Amino acid sequence: MITKEKLERLIRELPSPPQNALRILNVLRTPDAGAEEVEKALRYDPGLTAGVLKMANSAYFGLPQRIGSIKQAVVLLGWKRISDLVMVSCMNSVMDRSVEGYDMEKGELWRHSVAVSVTSEVLAKELNIQGVDEIFTASLLHDIGKILLGMEVKEQIKNPNLFFEGNQSFDSVEKEYIGLDHAEAGAEILSRWGLPERTINAVRFHHKPDDSPYPDNMLDILHISDALCIMMGFTAGKEGLKYQPSLNAVKRLSLSQLTMEKAATYTMEKMNQLLNV
Amino acid sequence: MKIIVDVGDMKVSRNGDELVTHALGSCLGLTLWDPVAKVGGLLHAMLPLSKINPEKAQENPYMFVDTGVPALFQAFYQLGGKKERAVIKAAGCGAPLGDDKIFKIGERNLVVLKKLLWKNNLLLAAEDTGGTESRTVYFDISTGTVMIQSAGNKRVL
Repeated sequence: MITKEKLERLIRELPSPPQNALRILNVLRTPDAGAEEVEKALRYDPGLTAGVLKMANSAYFGLPQRIGSIKQAVVLLGWKRISDLVMVSCMNSVMDRSVEGYDMEKGELWRHSVAVSVTSEVLAKELNIQGVDEIFTASLLHDIGKILLGMEVKEQIKNPNLFFEGNQSFDSVEKEYIGLDHAEAGAEILSRWGLPERTINAVRFHHKPDDSPYPDNMLDILHISDALCIMMGFTAGKEGLKYQPSLNAVKRLSLSQLTMEKAATYTMEKMNQLLNV
Repeated sequence: MKIIVDVGDMKVSRNGDELVTHALGSCLGLTLWDPVAKVGGLLHAMLPLSKINPEKAQENPYMFVDTGVPALFQAFYQLGGKKERAVIKAAGCGAPLGDDKIFKIGERNLVVLKKLLWKNNLLLAAEDTGGTESRTVYFDISTGTVMIQSAGNKRVL
């Protein structure tokens, strides 16, 4: 079982806290912040700027003209999009790594996270659901708790077979053995980082959307998109498919089998477009 | 040479090569092998029926079982494989927990495969399907050995 003190320590010790992501997201969250201010914040990070511009110019957005500056990118794609891209650029260094404890190879968590992000966007679009602006970031970060919990799993779980091969849903196994599941761990990290409450809530309940204190389309989409990506081979760890998707979430979204399966056909293409593969 | 087959893709190859596909969840992993010609192929199909997105199927038939399986056989024949010698094995087709029909994509993948094989007088030599495991397939074309790895344990199919 993990103590409160240990959790705080693990959060502090997380690999390279994304200072730039937080700084820039703060600028973006200020409603009256102008494009110039974003450019100023990004100016001191040429690598980040280049990464954001590369994605802004990718086939994912299909812009007719080439974008040469952040200012131009903000005008053409909007604040929200740029904040998504800043997030992808910053989180790559934190999440594109192997995860001990869960036996995830380098790249596996990142691939899953990006797959869920683009699938969530496709689903939101197909279902014509508005007002889910934070869905990309919430999807990208939904499994970040695994990085933290992985360290604890490696240290505490003496019999990984028992841990990974049961027939219960895996989040409840985590909770039983460690005291919290990776979704809760992720929410704790994101609340320390000052992310919006709705994003934190979506991450916290992404395996149990019915337990959320308030209904949220964004959470339901993230939940379905995560389940779908795990099924479609964009996996998230040794536990495989040991999660129970919520039929209530399907009902709340009025999601049909056709819409769900169709969304899955775009995942790979959108991922490759965004990451310029 | 080790050749990776991505999600929604297919590769055929000759003696000496190994075909590998990672993380079959509900997806179907299908291997075809001709022990005489020593050629084989591996398909990683995501969804049962191409009618949900015909445009995509045109672009990439390997995404779907109903278009991917015939395309795999065609590529196998072109490499010198023969239908009457084909050793066919299936892996994957898993499902998350619970009984909700909408999430039974793996089961439907397997049903569509078996229907196709049945119509063509073909049978599976072996299968490792269903359940909640995520499977990785290693297919050695020299020997026809299909190895399944899931959650840390390895077994021959």
